[in-house]
Amino acid sequence: MSKLGRHRKRAIEDVDIDLVPIMNMFLVLIPFLLMSACFFQLKAINTSVPVLSEAANDVSKKEKLKVTVIVQIEKDRISLSAISDSVRPEELDKWGGQMIKGEKEAYPLDEVSICLQKIKESYPASDTVIVIPGEDVIYDTIIQTMDVARFCKSTPLFPNVVLSGKVG
Amino acid sequence: MALGKTRKHTRQFVPPKIQITSMMDMFTIIIIFLLFSFSDKPEIIQMRKDIKLPESTANMDYKENIKLILSQTSVQLEDEVIAKLKDGKVIGLNPNKLKQSTLYKRLIVYRYNANKSKTDGENKNNVLFLCDKRLPFKTINSIIKIAALAGYPNFQFGVLKKES
Repeated sequence: MSKLGRHRKRAIEDVDIDLVPIMNMFLVLIPFLLMSACFFQLKAINTSVPVLSEAANDVSKKEKLKVTVIVQIEKDRISLSAISDSVRPEELDKWGGQMIKGEKEAYPLDEVSICLQKIKESYPASDTVIVIPGEDVIYDTIIQTMDVARFCKSTPLFPNVVLSGKVG
Repeated sequence: MALGKTRKHTRQFVPPKIQITSMMDMFTIIIIFLLFSFSDKPEIIQMRKDIKLPESTANMDYKENIKLILSQTSVQLEDEVIAKLKDGKVIGLNPNKLKQSTLYKRLIVYRYNANKSKTDGENKNNVLFLCDKRLPFKTINSIIKIAALAGYPNFQFGVLKKES
């Protein structure tokens, strides 16, 4: 066989890469990553409960009209109202309203969202909502209502959420 | 002659080659997927199977707080089961004497210890509240009240990120 022929034969031969060490590494990595993998993304909603505190003297900020929205969740309806130290009660009354829920229907959260957007447009400095659920309202409904009150798509509405039980 | 022919045709045993290229491909895909879902949270929360968290659009990450877990059967503070629940009511809890509850006493201890070791600045000041989405507010309210009375009025409600 000529020299040329020998060279040709060598070039055609397959080169076997030794994949066993890589396989071993993968086999070690996979259990480790499986153990520390996170399949559910846990997120958090900041909220607080009302506490007794001394009244703040925000006289300088009076020009910024702020209202606090109250969302009451009942078994068959969601009621909205607004309170404020700096806005006249007659003006606040127009923001009050009730959204009735059908017997087997979901809560009308879209309507609530529209009302909250209108309040936010009128008083842009407002940032607090008080959610008052009824005794039988389930936790899931409270979270959905909080979501609606906190953000509309990506626009913040009332990011400070206070959860309170009904008094009286 | 016939025997000789048979001998001639007998081949030498060649160990079979395992085709591991496809297996490598599979492993590579698994590794990439797992690397993407790798959790970089400060601590991994072991969720119990009987808790169904609500879904939310919230995007905020939870902090290292005191974990208060409320399932349909029990109240759990960190890893300790504090009380049992039956029909949505905490067994042995008097709504008029919340300060006498075990949860209140435990939280007071946590608060005392947190104040004692305030030097590191990484204190657990809030409560990470993980609650089953099917529970009514009357159950949640009593637990929240106890936490607030014990000096923890600020909560982080644990929710699952809603798939958009």
